[in-house]
Amino acid sequence: MSMWWMLLVPILAQAETVATDEKVVGVFYYSPIFGHVHQSAVRISPSLTTIQCSHPVKVIESSKVSAGPEWAYVQVADHRGFVLREFLAENRPDCFQGKYPKFFDAFNLDLSDLYYWGRLGDQYIQGETRVK
Amino acid sequence: MKWLLITMIYFSGAQAQTEKLQEEKELEVVDFSSIKKVLQQDGLDEAAKKKETEVKILKRVQVKVEAQRYLYPTESELFGFVSEYWLVKNAQLLSWDFEKPDYGLERNFGATMESLGFYQKRYKILLVNTPSLVRTALPGDGEVILLLSVPFIRSLDLSKLEISLILLEDYVRLEQGYFKKAVSTEKLAKLAGTNFQGGKPDVGLVEELLRNYSRQVNERGYNFQQQFEVTKKMDAFLKSNPELWNAYYRLIGKIDKFVKSNTQYKDYVKLYPSPEMQLKWLSPEEKVH
Repeated sequence: MSMWWMLLVPILAQAETVATDEKVVGVFYYSPIFGHVHQSAVRISPSLTTIQCSHPVKVIESSKVSAGPEWAYVQVADHRGFVLREFLAENRPDCFQGKYPKFFDAFNLDLSDLYYWGRLGDQYIQGETRVK
Repeated sequence: MKWLLITMIYFSGAQAQTEKLQEEKELEVVDFSSIKKVLQQDGLDEAAKKKETEVKILKRVQVKVEAQRYLYPTESELFGFVSEYWLVKNAQLLSWDFEKPDYGLERNFGATMESLGFYQKRYKILLVNTPSLVRTALPGDGEVILLLSVPFIRSLDLSKLEISLILLEDYVRLEQGYFKKAVSTEKLAKLAGTNFQGGKPDVGLVEELLRNYSRQVNERGYNFQQQFEVTKKMDAFLKSNPELWNAYYRLIGKIDKFVKSNTQYKDYVKLYPSPEMQLKWLSPEEKVH
């Protein structure tokens, strides 16, 4: 009867596994002009937050989350969600808004513009024919 | 009291004068000519000169970088920017933010292009959920943005190959340069790639282009001559592949019948004149005469 605490050992061990079974793969940079961190790994899924080109994105590997080959499970500020892998660059990309800041700022894009511009990138079917 | 103040001012002034003299004395004690030799021997003089040159270069770079912040994008970059901005501004009308059916276009369109010898070509396909815009191609920066209506695809029950051929025809039409020519403005030619430092950028340049895009896509379309040239180009590209050529010919026939019988698409022939003529231009009998 005095050994009741032994029952807690497997639970505590499991809790530790869950907590450590997650790692940061690396910090990447978002490459399209605008984009969204999605709630789920689906192109039309709701947006958690809008990000713009060159924004650092922490890619996380977790046994609890299955993102599939097309998507990356990421953390941006306090948000954890999904972005398409093809939009992540290892090095800081050459962004339009960074290259032409004064021109770009002159448009004073509103929230609706930012939202739709972010959605646009996810809605394209993109491709490039191979080299001969 | 008055005398006391005068005396205090006199003494404080005298003290300051004394300090200045001491500094001057210190400066006199330093023999610069002898130090100069030491500096030269240590190479410090050389280092100072090098540093001065570096600073000059850095300042020049800084000025250049600052000037670059005030550049207008190049023409190609402007087209890429305006095409996307137009899609953003017309998002609700075009209704492109929806769950799309999987037509396997990623594989099929690329494969069709490659089978016809279009290598290293970048494209973006955007399916729209409206019958009001059937098809169009917009210029991107080093790529092509192809728009196609899902209700149109469904109404005609188009196969994957037929979808790819429509996209290819739009690709060829854009490559012919008709779109850019139709929407271009004097401001674009004048301002693209130039600098506006000391002023504000002319946003009217983009506003004008956006209006021209809408006019070209929704009202103006293409003329008979342009359509003839596009059809002949397609004919030449597909000639080597009878399967593709026949599929293209059947597709045009299908569109011809459909737009003639469906009032919802009555404007199609105004924008793309005309499937009936395209059939004539393609038909082998026409070639013989």
